[in-house]
Amino acid sequence: MTFARLGLWLLRRERASGEWRVLLLALIIGVGSVSTTGFLGDRIKRAMSEQGASFLGADLMVTSPRPIEDWPVPAVESGALATSQALEFASMVSRGDAFQLATLRAVDADYPLRGVVRIADRPFEPGAARPAQPPPGSIYVEPSLLPLLSASVGDSVKIGEATFRIAGIVAEEPGQLGGVFGLAPRVFLRADEVETTRVLQPGSRLTYLYQFAGEPEQLAAFSAAVKPALDSTQRLIGSREGVETLRGAFANADRYIQLTALISLLLSVAAIAIAAHHHALRHYDQAALLRCFGATTTQLRTLYAIQLLTLGLLGSLAGVAIGALTQQALAALILPGAVTRLPSLGLAPVGVAIASGLLALAGASLPALMRLIRVPPLRVLRRDLPPLPVAAWLSAAVSGSALLLLIAWYAGDAKLVGGFVGALIALVGVLILLARLALVAGRGVQRLSHGPLRFGLAQLLRHRFDSTLQLGAFTLALFLVALLALVRSDLIAGWQQQLPPQAPNYFLVNIAPHQQQAVAAYLSEHRLKASALYPMVRGRLVSKNGVSIAETLPEDARDSNTLRRELNLTWTATLPANNAILAGRWHGERRADAPVKAIPKVGNPLSAQADAELTPPAGAPLLSSDPSAEISVESGMAERLNLAIGDQLGFQVGDQTIAARITSIRSVKWDSMQPNFFVIFAPGQLDALPASAIASVYVPPDATDVLPGFVKAFPGITVLALDKLIANIEAVFAQIIGAIQLLLGFLLAAGMAVVVATLLASLDARQQEAVLLRTLGAQRAYLAKGLWSEFIALGLLAGLLASACAEIAMALIANRLFELPLRLHPWLWLVLPLGGALLVGMSGWLTTRHITRVPPMQSIRALN
Amino acid sequence: MTPPDSAQFPAESTSALQSHGVVIARALSQRVTTADGELAILSEVELAVKAGETLAITGASGSGKSTLLGLLAGLDQPSAGEIMLLGQRLGDLDEDARARLRAGRIGFVFQSFQLLPALSALENILLPLELAGRADASTRAAYWLDRVGLAARAAHTPRQLSGGEQQRVALARAFATDPEIVFADEPTGNLDADTGARIIELLFELNASAHTTLILVTHDEALAARCQRRLHLVAGQMREAAFA
Ligand SMILES: Nc1ncnc2c1ncn2[C@@H]1O[C@H](COP(=O)(O)OP(=O)(O)O)[C@@H](O)[C@H]1O
Ligand SMILES: [Mg+2]
Repeated sequence: MTFARLGLWLLRRERASGEWRVLLLALIIGVGSVSTTGFLGDRIKRAMSEQGASFLGADLMVTSPRPIEDWPVPAVESGALATSQALEFASMVSRGDAFQLATLRAVDADYPLRGVVRIADRPFEPGAARPAQPPPGSIYVEPSLLPLLSASVGDSVKIGEATFRIAGIVAEEPGQLGGVFGLAPRVFLRADEVETTRVLQPGSRLTYLYQFAGEPEQLAAFSAAVKPALDSTQRLIGSREGVETLRGAFANADRYIQLTALISLLLSVAAIAIAAHHHALRHYDQAALLRCFGATTTQLRTLYAIQLLTLGLLGSLAGVAIGALTQQALAALILPGAVTRLPSLGLAPVGVAIASGLLALAGASLPALMRLIRVPPLRVLRRDLPPLPVAAWLSAAVSGSALLLLIAWYAGDAKLVGGFVGALIALVGVLILLARLALVAGRGVQRLSHGPLRFGLAQLLRHRFDSTLQLGAFTLALFLVALLALVRSDLIAGWQQQLPPQAPNYFLVNIAPHQQQAVAAYLSEHRLKASALYPMVRGRLVSKNGVSIAETLPEDARDSNTLRRELNLTWTATLPANNAILAGRWHGERRADAPVKAIPKVGNPLSAQADAELTPPAGAPLLSSDPSAEISVESGMAERLNLAIGDQLGFQVGDQTIAARITSIRSVKWDSMQPNFFVIFAPGQLDALPASAIASVYVPPDATDVLPGFVKAFPGITVLALDKLIANIEAVFAQIIGAIQLLLGFLLAAGMAVVVATLLASLDARQQEAVLLRTLGAQRAYLAKGLWSEFIALGLLAGLLASACAEIAMALIANRLFELPLRLHPWLWLVLPLGGALLVGMSGWLTTRHITRVPPMQSIRALN
Repeated sequence: MTPPDSAQFPAESTSALQSHGVVIARALSQRVTTADGELAILSEVELAVKAGETLAITGASGSGKSTLLGLLAGLDQPSAGEIMLLGQRLGDLDEDARARLRAGRIGFVFQSFQLLPALSALENILLPLELAGRADASTRAAYWLDRVGLAARAAHTPRQLSGGEQQRVALARAFATDPEIVFADEPTGNLDADTGARIIELLFELNASAHTTLILVTHDEALAARCQRRLHLVAGQMREAAFA
């Protein structure tokens, strides 16, 4: 018989002995929770990017002023990616004497690939999801176009030489977020009817929109191949870019899911390590006997490696099966509306889960097995002989590298891994110290107590090493569960703060200077809560400290959105709400000395946007204004473009160049639903420029009938509805919160595994003592009470320690990792010790209960 | 590669030595360092056991009997001195080579039986046979279980067997591989007098029919008296080597 077969034979025989069971169970829980979090996290991530995609209308979009004929990637031809094309251009729409410039989007039958277009029969109604391509001879228009043309649904309008019937109102469309400001009203028409209008002339400003959707790998390959082929007038937009507003929430949820997966994995690794240690301990005799019968080191290694591998595979497969099943149920429960097509469960995650199960098992149990192999054969004669010590660095290196690999694998993010591993090592050190201290304090309590309590505490103190281990393990489990629960509720609280109940749900854009007072009066008359009015001028950042801005950036950063797009520039003396100064000083009322002279209005907003697609003029622009003018820059932009306090920036506004110095850097809450600006000027610099203003307003659900009246009263003002966007954000949050709650459940199971594994490992010693005490005449009730007091004391202590650790950790990570405000959690100090006492008391009682029941004689025989 | 103290077997070839015995010890000493300083467990033990002989090692508890047995069986290495086991100089062999030497050629009986709790009586006998790679392992195991009178208990695990029955399984396990030497460390130490006596009968009966060399540690005078030779240890020193 080969040793591999012998290993399997022994494994099969010992299956019934129950010693492997703990290890297997820990592994199943570990892999189960990991694969559940893995599968689920992956699905949620995909669901979220699907949400992002529904904002963009596709997974990827390429925009170009010219048609792109030759796509460099066969994926497009092979049909691996779904594609859709649209053409966007500006044209006049007329009805009778009324003319209005509109943004026309000519779409094919597949538009949009992701998300929906909702078409309503009347303005400001929710509408129903329908293809964006209108029936032949008709168009869909945005509500703001109707009053401008005094038209209603069903009327006919002219575009160029063709006549179209208005067949519906665009209530919602993807891509609403991308540069909404200053756009002329949207019109959808059929791509095959563009010809009939004859408005497209050579030299017309056109934007071709190419949309793509498909599997992530193909999309990644596609965008990698396409990117280098694009010139500076063409842009590649990913679905994540489509949702600037959701970015913060995405990043937090992403991090949180990573963290949860990692922590449940590490908890199960702890459980496995304890079980493996216990298993090895109970097999020293077997190993010694095998050596005595002539087994060599290599043969023993083979034997135990085969056993480990078999267990690893079994446990991992069972875990993966459990993970796949639970996540399927969970996905169905929490992701019904969010995901139109649930990503399928490929074989890849199964492979990953099995590999990580094996890795976790190896990392957790190899040190114990390495000791097992080094049991001296002489142990058959001297039963107390311990295995030869394994060099500490060796076992540390073996399990350390396996665990690091795992952590790196799951966390992905190097910073997260580093921070996490560091924190974990520190935590273990602190835990050992705290546990020791707590046990010393326990001695004082023990002296004052009597009866079974005194006995229970004495037990705790007598086995100092075991107690430290148990206390440490329980604390770790409680701490991690508490930590994630805290982070979760802080995350949710943070989100709710970000989206107040009366968050603005409409943007008013293009408010002319002479209208501003009338608008304010109209809003207050109808008791509508509006933000401040922000004047807005469109301009592009062209230079920094006299050098073309592109030249100050590394090659790969020149592609930045901020450079290509025109920025909305505003000026105000008051720092807007939801903005915070991070560096420098807010400019306040300080005025520049020499305001620029008035320049002609920059034509229609659409052409201003089209201008944005042009490359900045060559050569350093002249500074034509007062260089001491002050501006405040958003922190993300400052980071991306490498801007610092004191830098002199040049902006191109129309045909003018304006210079200003950065005197402050601001953080901006992009998801606050307020008008937000990358660059804010001090008053005085831009005042002379003709600027329209923007404001946001909250319209309660019962007051939406105010809007048609508003649009009639102020025909030039565009009203943008944000309800859909807010509903989407809330849906995303709700899904994430649901998922997080369930992930916490798994974490709790992993924590329980640690507690049970630790208790089971102490069972032998406890049994031995209980038998001895019963032989000496101890009553069963006395023993039971002793056990209870021991476990409850352990649970209480662990809960207290965990509370302390959790508060400290929360303080450390709250602002670092999640950018959340610092908060204290007094209830924690009550819940954790009580919960710990209950948890440890119950599981302790359940695992050790029988040792007080078995008659001493039977126990003595069983122990032999 | 010459061992440092090979001079203790001058000029004698391995085969020549074999005629002197299957187990030979020369100037065997075992010392350990403890917290209280150096402790001599064995000092200068000299011993030669011929094939088929039975030897009793006697002495008070703590006199070093088990230590000597472990050294002779190659389970441990001496601080000084030489051991020849089955014609091999143990000092020349590393741990694994000593293990290979034991496989199938040496049987053990222990005071605390040392059966694997997860295996049945039959499987416990099967284990050394499988380890030694015997082709007829299962028939042999069944035969030996029958030899010790436990055929009816084949499927029982050690927990379901009494101490005497467990030791009988252990005897079957020790003899099943047809070993050249059987080492027994106080085989009756954990048994009551009656059961112990029956185990001794069985041990000597099996030994006689298999012509095995038997090295037996005991502090039971009656048991020692049944051996052909006897080595008495007092505090790790040989006091008498009586021939029966
Ligand atoms: N490695 C060791 N370290 C310390 N003391 C040992 C060691 N090995 C044996 N001893 C001691 O040597 C003495 C002899 O042990 P042992 O050979 O088991 O005696 P016996 O089997 O005759 O009862 C005992 O006192 C034992 O405690
Ligand atoms: Mg002994």
